[in-house]
Amino acid sequence: MSNANVGSVYDHIIQEVINAVRVDFEENGVEDGVLDELRKGWQQKLSQLNVAQFPWDPKPEPPPTAANNAQTAAPPVSQQVATSYTQATLSPQTSSQPLSHQGSLHPGANGMGIKPDPGMVKPEPGIKQEPGTGMSQTGVPAYNAANAGRGGIAAQRAAQALESNYGPRAAASISAIQSGMAQQMNPAQLAQRPGQPPQQQQQHQAPQQQQQPNAQQQYRQGVAATMQQRLQSQQGAHTNGPNGLPTAQVDGSSDSFEGVLLRRDANGHPVEMGRVEIDNLIHAQIASRAKQIEGGGLMLPLKEATRHRSIANKSKATAGGPSQVDGPDDLMKDEDLDEDAINSDLDDSEEEKDEEEEDDDSMGHMMLCMYDKVQRVKNKWKCTLKDGVLTVNGREYVFHKATGEYEW
Amino acid sequence: MSEVSHIATLSRIQQALKCKSRSDNTMATNSTNFYDLYRHGSLGTTLTDALDDLIGAERIDPQLAMKVLTQFDRIVAESLSEKVKARLTFKGSLDTYRFCDEVWTFLIKNVTFKMDNGSHSVVADKVKIVSCSAKRTDEK
Repeated sequence: MSNANVGSVYDHIIQEVINAVRVDFEENGVEDGVLDELRKGWQQKLSQLNVAQFPWDPKPEPPPTAANNAQTAAPPVSQQVATSYTQATLSPQTSSQPLSHQGSLHPGANGMGIKPDPGMVKPEPGIKQEPGTGMSQTGVPAYNAANAGRGGIAAQRAAQALESNYGPRAAASISAIQSGMAQQMNPAQLAQRPGQPPQQQQQHQAPQQQQQPNAQQQYRQGVAATMQQRLQSQQGAHTNGPNGLPTAQVDGSSDSFEGVLLRRDANGHPVEMGRVEIDNLIHAQIASRAKQIEGGGLMLPLKEATRHRSIANKSKATAGGPSQVDGPDDLMKDEDLDEDAINSDLDDSEEEKDEEEEDDDSMGHMMLCMYDKVQRVKNKWKCTLKDGVLTVNGREYVFHKATGEYEW
Repeated sequence: MSEVSHIATLSRIQQALKCKSRSDNTMATNSTNFYDLYRHGSLGTTLTDALDDLIGAERIDPQLAMKVLTQFDRIVAESLSEKVKARLTFKGSLDTYRFCDEVWTFLIKNVTFKMDNGSHSVVADKVKIVSCSAKRTDEK
């Protein structure tokens, strides 16, 4: 059942009404702008109801289908959120780019150096290994060369994603990644420039990183300093080259390096995480954030809303939530997870149901029309209606004539 | 149609719109030849909201808003009869019927609506039909 003509009919009605009252507005000394405001407000509110496709709306949506008809009305806001959610967050290729750009434009906000995208990193190792050339040409942070192996890129991506998802909270986890990378990187740097301390190298790069403000450089220097410390304490673990210097590692990350990220579990014990786990974690976080934007599922049908909520709770319980650096969960959070607790969604559902019933009568499924004839034979009714507006399943239909047959 | 001054403020009208028990009985206004029935639809409620916003911001006064709604009653009725050609059939089981002040109210359950343009039907578990006499507008 198509309601394609609803938009044009409503548009016509709005235009007519606005034209008809223009004289009244003038007589009352109300300026024309107010009338325009009325029209815009009216159209906007009508669009928010999302009962049909209106001519004044932009037309990004696919044509209404049976699936659309079956849905209950979702306000346009939540629809926009839903589309941006699927476009920006569900496909990893598109999501990684904007995230990294966003990070590099505002590094001061999170204080983290953002790595260039993988496409730029890949050709690097060939150039980087030649002494004398290298960093001054590329403007890429030095550790990318040393970490061109898969583990390094994965670690960078993980840190990058964590950073953009969790902001400053993830700083500790990321520094864990950084220090893990430092173990691979410093030998390489030292092999290239034995006399030069790492901090000078960092400053040497500084002019090329024009987009990145000082806060980031300082942070990076700090990271370099900690790298140096860790290197010294762990140098014994690495096998040294013939001249006493550590061997440069050019064949990717060391094999003993398994986990990419450390996070603390519910009891505060550090747990090593691999790429897949991190990906799952990030995905769960993004999904929950999208749900949050939707208003926690308030706009969904009750059945779906409760179902999603329980799923979210379960996954929270198993995955342990986002990486936590401030100790184990507080008591409050445990209460939130408890579905049977007082004030749980069991209570909510009844209240919502009551409201829903009221809404059903006033705004839900409703037909407003004129009747020509209403006939009854025993329990069989027949009626002829005309000039009606029908609102059903969140869609609106208009008709010139309608005939109905029903039994009592 | 004659211009009749309205004493009721818009907020009072809105109360009447929200009040379910009264709404069925106040379909036909005595001030115009057109029903204010369609103010209950999405088009009408959004117009009322938009007018209410303007009144709240003291951009227009309630009397002007009443005039807008009166024009709206007329234009909706005219547009629906002139602009719309679609035909609709529906079947279902009648749950409640009521006839009061020339207004039929039906509550129909398990309804199937079908438009004559051949597309597939729409099913709803419950639909309320509020219907005013078509004769009254013809008599004017």
